[in-house]
Amino acid sequence: MFNWIQELFAELHQHVFESGVLPVLYALELGGEAERAFNATELFLIGAIEITFLAIVLGTLEKWRPVEVQSHSGWKKTDALYTMLHRLGFVPLLLFFMLMPLVDTLDGALRMHDIIPPNLEDWVPWLAGAPLVSFLVYLLVLDFVAYWLHRWQHRFNWWWSLHALHHSQREMSFWSDDRNHLLDDLLIDSAHVMVALLIGVPPGQFIALVVASRMIESLSHANLRLHFGRVGERLLVSPRFHRVHHGVGVGHEGRTQGCNFAVLFPIWDVMFGTANFEPTFPATGIRDQADGREYGDTFWRQQWLGLQRLLVRQ
Amino acid sequence: MKVRLVLEALSLAGALLVAPAFAQVAIVLNSGDGTVSIIDKAEKKEVKRIPVGKEPHHLMATPDDQFLIVANAVSNDLVLLDPKTGEIRRRIDKISDPYQIGFSPDKKWFVSVSLRLNRTDVYDGDFKLVKRIATPKAPSHVAFTSDSKLAFITLQDSNELAAIDLATQVVKWTMPVGTMPAGVWVTPDDKYVLVGMTGADYVEVVDWRTQKTVKKIKTGKGAHNFIAMGDGRRILVSNRVANTVNIIDQQTLEVVDTIRVPGGPDCMELTADGKELWVTSRWAKKVTIVDMASKQIAKQIPVGNSPHGIYFMGHAARK
Repeated sequence: MFNWIQELFAELHQHVFESGVLPVLYALELGGEAERAFNATELFLIGAIEITFLAIVLGTLEKWRPVEVQSHSGWKKTDALYTMLHRLGFVPLLLFFMLMPLVDTLDGALRMHDIIPPNLEDWVPWLAGAPLVSFLVYLLVLDFVAYWLHRWQHRFNWWWSLHALHHSQREMSFWSDDRNHLLDDLLIDSAHVMVALLIGVPPGQFIALVVASRMIESLSHANLRLHFGRVGERLLVSPRFHRVHHGVGVGHEGRTQGCNFAVLFPIWDVMFGTANFEPTFPATGIRDQADGREYGDTFWRQQWLGLQRLLVRQ
Repeated sequence: MKVRLVLEALSLAGALLVAPAFAQVAIVLNSGDGTVSIIDKAEKKEVKRIPVGKEPHHLMATPDDQFLIVANAVSNDLVLLDPKTGEIRRRIDKISDPYQIGFSPDKKWFVSVSLRLNRTDVYDGDFKLVKRIATPKAPSHVAFTSDSKLAFITLQDSNELAAIDLATQVVKWTMPVGTMPAGVWVTPDDKYVLVGMTGADYVEVVDWRTQKTVKKIKTGKGAHNFIAMGDGRRILVSNRVANTVNIIDQQTLEVVDTIRVPGGPDCMELTADGKELWVTSRWAKKVTIVDMASKQIAKQIPVGNSPHGIYFMGHAARK
């Protein structure tokens, strides 16, 4: 069954690449990018399948047990656009082409001084023979990094001025996960690239697990009255746990400028004293929206206002 | 006498039973998966997939044929496999971004080409670094003159061919060639360097002594990599976009035959008897086996993601 699906996907991937992508690359004299384009085609197709799956499964769940009745379909459409741009690979590709020349130059210069950036497997050699374990270790380390980056998105006012866009959705749904300012995305990706120079990159063969972790992030934003139970809430970020993070006031104010910063594993919030397991499903958004502050309803308006907040710093 | 004959017959039968187990394994690098597919050559079926490291692209035998060297570009290491079974024997770390690799014919130099970082690294025969040489942009493949004095490197993004003097480890010269040069091949008489133009549809013939292009051999689109047919005369070139493999006569410098191989044919291996051509079909995630008598596809074997390098013992001679 599984092999059959894999082979069908392989044929689709090959067909789309050879008949659609490769001729365009050659017409643009970009044949040297064939391997990268082949991988990008795979990510695009997986993203399309993932989005369809999310729309059907999480869409159904949201209808089944919604936290709130939502009436602004335009807000949701904008969030859906962010999801398409991210999960189909357009934003990641743009950031990749912006960052990789810099990283390769730095990496190349280091190696000329005989500094070869390490992989986790260099420190724990047996991980090289156990790629699944290696992937899970990377996932844990990268989630730890994501937790602290998220803390800083709230901690530093200039960074919050960008990250506020993500929090400004007052009718949060599973589409809201990728609703970010592009500069915010650039900062987060730059940080991850630096981390990759320190510890290497995870083994690349577990795309299904990458997709699964993205789906958990979508689920955590869903308009869904769901929690994972006393133990489960502490193991994996649930819709209730993350909704508290988006709660007006609760999620972005106080001594630690919010709570429940974890992306996948709440253990980091427990360890660093930012966990809030209150069994509530608060209204989402930012407090100053009640005073009439505008964060924008459309993609470009949101990006523009984010830039203004950053530069003008009100 | 009878007993001796029976014993000899039994020992011969035993040898025949044991030998194929060592001789019939094909090894394929799944560059996208970080694994090695071990294929039973007789059954033409993948029997095992072993994790080997991040982004293994190319592989080659050690000069003594005792090991198979797998170059893991992202893991920054070389992994030595048992060529008979594909099992991992040893890992050599701190080899910077090895993409394509090659030993000079005199076994004195091991050259590792770093496509991503614009470097060519020269090591001694024991994998000790001798020098890192800046070779922008996107050094792709390497080949040597038979006297081991020069290493030729294709520069994929700057559309050049570079020659490195191995004794002094300096770039002796570079010359412009066509679009996206990749595979590079030195003719057995050392007269010409052939360069596969992956961005075009020809193989460029370079007289390296004068650094002049003397001919363009028309191939299928995306001419990429070379392998010898073992007769000292003919070579094969894979065309990644046209989905063909051309046979080129090195004496006449003409294409003499075309074989259809779907799925982005990349690296190749030919059996010593010349009967079967095994090709990694990069975009199809398969290995394609061509029956060379009929020039038809005999079988396609599903392997891992983005299969690239391929090797088996009992291959055709490299010239």
